[in-house]
Amino acid sequence: MQKSLKTEFLGRPITSPLVLSAGVMGMAFSGFNISIENGAGIVTSKSLTLEPRMGHKGPVVAEFEGGLLNCMGLCNPGIVDGLTEIDQFKKCSDIPIIASVFATNTIDFLKLTSHVNKSKADFLELNLSCPNVFDEFGIPLAASLEEVHNIVKAVKQISKFPVIAKLSPNVYDIVSIAKAAESAGADALCMINTVGPGMLIDTKMVKPVLFNKFGGLSGSCIKPIALKLIYQTYSAVNIPIIGMGGVTYGEDAIEMLMAGAAVIGVGTAVHYRGIEVFNKINEEIFEFMEENGYKDLNNIPRLEKL
Amino acid sequence: MEKRITIKIDRIVEETNDIKTFTFKHTLGAKPGQFIMLTDFEGGEKPFSISNCTKEEFSVTVKRIGEFTTRLFQKCEGDYVSIRGAYGSSFFVSKNKVLLVGGGYAVPTFYFFAKVLLEAGADVTLINGARTKIEHVFADRFIELDIKVLNVTDDGSFGEKGTAVDIAQKIISKDKFDFLYASGPELMMKALQNVIKDIDYEFLFERYMKCAIGICGNCTMDPIGLRLCVEGPVLPKKKVELLTEFGKYHRDASGKRHEF
Repeated sequence: MQKSLKTEFLGRPITSPLVLSAGVMGMAFSGFNISIENGAGIVTSKSLTLEPRMGHKGPVVAEFEGGLLNCMGLCNPGIVDGLTEIDQFKKCSDIPIIASVFATNTIDFLKLTSHVNKSKADFLELNLSCPNVFDEFGIPLAASLEEVHNIVKAVKQISKFPVIAKLSPNVYDIVSIAKAAESAGADALCMINTVGPGMLIDTKMVKPVLFNKFGGLSGSCIKPIALKLIYQTYSAVNIPIIGMGGVTYGEDAIEMLMAGAAVIGVGTAVHYRGIEVFNKINEEIFEFMEENGYKDLNNIPRLEKL
Repeated sequence: MEKRITIKIDRIVEETNDIKTFTFKHTLGAKPGQFIMLTDFEGGEKPFSISNCTKEEFSVTVKRIGEFTTRLFQKCEGDYVSIRGAYGSSFFVSKNKVLLVGGGYAVPTFYFFAKVLLEAGADVTLINGARTKIEHVFADRFIELDIKVLNVTDDGSFGEKGTAVDIAQKIISKDKFDFLYASGPELMMKALQNVIKDIDYEFLFERYMKCAIGICGNCTMDPIGLRLCVEGPVLPKKKVELLTEFGKYHRDASGKRHEF
């Protein structure tokens, strides 16, 4: 059997269903390069804001068994420089790239969208759900049905590119929020952002390990939450889902597909298994398909909807 | 998973007005060239090269540059800090005739490395450079080791007058070295690269680091997407030659590019 994990996402052919998640490696154009060289089928930029952001002071990551806390604090070079990195990447690559953007209101999201329209990006992701800037911006927009609906609707009216809404797991009813994004015209959903936030304490110095005190939880330990929320959402919407949260091995990716994800995001696993993680997971997905007689990704069965 | 350890500063030595060595009683098991992340949980966690590492203890030698290091300089022996690591790549340990070229606060890491080279049986020559006498470090430390040392300052206030690169060029033309190592300002290493011709080398680089575990992308180097915290900070010749940003620009905490 010819080794291929070709599929498509929002009408674009892709060579692997694996997506480099926003926030991971996506600062320099060469970070995208190295990810696709190692098997990613789609890459995502850092969430870009109108102005550059230095992010939080360190420590910005804290490890524990089963997961990672992070509070990068939306560091990014700003929309102008960030899109320059995207355009530089696209000069030498046909691999689709998602321009992720972050703002706190519709007007700024529209400004960001106008910038992205002029770039060589392929998709636009609205980060409605960063959990690590609460002190600065308060409750994430993704917690409000109305905000999500209004922003997605406004952005859809002017965006040249398909719009993806990135949702937070840290809400009471993610399915209603997903439906609000869909009814506002979102082309796809990306879920889940990090869980919590959570915290860890240094017991000798009696201080939170993260300088921001709290940070979003990622890694293997959040996979069951991600699978459940993706499955519930998949059951209720008709737009594709980029499923992510704790995907580390091929088996996790298969579970994501079975839960209803169209493609699969990989982030923290870059730490666990190196930048080669994409090729490793591709290989493991392929082995699973061979063992179980699935000819291509579309043959892998999904769970019956709820 | 690299475990975080919160430990007391055992000893502090003032090397110059704005360079101090902090020693910790802890078995780190680091290799020369590697670094640790250090924080006091008061805002900031920074990478520091290891300047000495034995079975019982290790040291970092720190230059006071900004808010974080200024606060670190106010700490006393017995105060706690928290570290994680050691991280990153280390120097190839040659058994032959080697030249170490160091500049400023990047020199102390060669103290740890020179000891490891001597254990391996290498013939070591060190060019220890600084801009001026009061910024020159570890001259007394290197005397204890069985290596050839050439001290040099830009203004001639200590050792020979000139740059480390000038001296390197001079001695390379007279003597044959099997391997060269450099640790210093990036423009020094760039200039050095142009004069060392066919000698194989490794350079120790510095970039803005945040996570130190290869995911945040802040220290990614163009155009090959090299993550300096994982594949670096010590880079071999064949990788250095691929870096288009070497000696040209680096990224700040936001990822914005700045020219050297």
